[in-house]
Amino acid sequence: MKPFLSLHSIEKRYNNHLALQVDELEFEPQHIYSLVGPNGCGKSTLLQIVALLLKPTFGEMIFQGEKVIWKKKSLQRLRQHITLVHQSPFLFSRSVRHNIAYGLKMRGMHSKKQHHLIHEALDMVGLNGFGRRTARELSGGEQQRVALARALVLRPKLLLLDEPISNMDRASIEAFDGLLPILVDQGMTIIQATHSPDQPERLHSTIIRMEDGRLI
Amino acid sequence: MGFLFDSLKTALAMIFEFNPEVYITVWTSLYVSSIAIVFATLAGVPAGLAVGLGRFPGRRAVITILNTLMALPTVVVGLVVYGFLSRVGPLGQFGLLFTPAAMVIGQIILATPIIANYTLGALSSSDSRIMPTALTLGASTTRGAMVLLQEIRFGVMAAIIAGFGRIIAEVGVAMMLGGNIRGYTRTMTTAIALETSKGEFAFGLALGIFLLSVALLINMFLNFLQQR
Repeated sequence: MKPFLSLHSIEKRYNNHLALQVDELEFEPQHIYSLVGPNGCGKSTLLQIVALLLKPTFGEMIFQGEKVIWKKKSLQRLRQHITLVHQSPFLFSRSVRHNIAYGLKMRGMHSKKQHHLIHEALDMVGLNGFGRRTARELSGGEQQRVALARALVLRPKLLLLDEPISNMDRASIEAFDGLLPILVDQGMTIIQATHSPDQPERLHSTIIRMEDGRLI
Repeated sequence: MGFLFDSLKTALAMIFEFNPEVYITVWTSLYVSSIAIVFATLAGVPAGLAVGLGRFPGRRAVITILNTLMALPTVVVGLVVYGFLSRVGPLGQFGLLFTPAAMVIGQIILATPIIANYTLGALSSSDSRIMPTALTLGASTTRGAMVLLQEIRFGVMAAIIAGFGRIIAEVGVAMMLGGNIRGYTRTMTTAIALETSKGEFAFGLALGIFLLSVALLINMFLNFLQQR
């Protein structure tokens, strides 16, 4: 069976500095993967490459059996299935609802259809009733949940999370841990970068350890 | 002191009694510079975005050129455009010299680098996560740039206002390309220069008050935007 996503001889260099070197890495569908390792070990770089936001210096990536071609049109098409939630997410300076609707608009969805999906996504992250609030006025944890809802509403096949629980309180983390297996059951594959020592095991995720830009 | 006080009294009387010559001159200034700023915005904002977002060979050189063009002397612009528009120049057949259109062309050249540079500055100080966020949510590069523009809108508005401030107060282009024709191409700045040299100090002062009021309004608006 072909892997859902595979990376072959991927390297990312900044001038002469090697930021990431991955010889072979495969991801199966409907799994949770946790990238763990110290700061600067290449977790975020790997996520950005998989999110098709950062072109590797060398190497090949195959997503759902299709070789990734680093051309605008092709990337935009593939990005419809992959969404990254950044560690400190950027929220547009408008309402929560506008933020969540943005990706749906980019997919040409009619505003009447958006309403139900936005409501559902806010419900998933425990932010019901927050739709009209100004996104930037929310707390750090709430902003992180808005960013998560903004990604979930798109129902991506591959959800990438960069330190998703770093700004969350205990109750939110518990809710988040409960949510991820549900998303996997719905067909998502999740790759998260985390510093949490126990969360990867709690989620029964496959742990990928990294150090100095390499897998160990 | 008496001279200045009397002149100020006469100038205020001209303003409040709606002296037609004063108001026609003010209107010409505002009308020419407003048209110029629209075209300069259409050229300058995309140029600033292209230089800010693009990664191409010679980008540093383009930024240096844009910076240099910010300090472009108005008389040099007037001189070059005059060369093109004069009867024997390459565009002489269109008969644009000494018309408001010629002044608009000159002012576009003056304002565009200012708007492009300010836009570039706004872009450089903007949040680097805007574009990746838009892209990961499925936006095309163009739609991503639109989001970016929306997020830096106050910086872009400041750019447009700065460009307008520059061209509404310039003399060289208006004088050399407009010809200072009464009721047609005479602007506040060229009228002030002319009327003062003729000894009509009060008239010049009345226009000066208008010009200062425009500058004051522009700066107040700029301050307001910078506080947002």
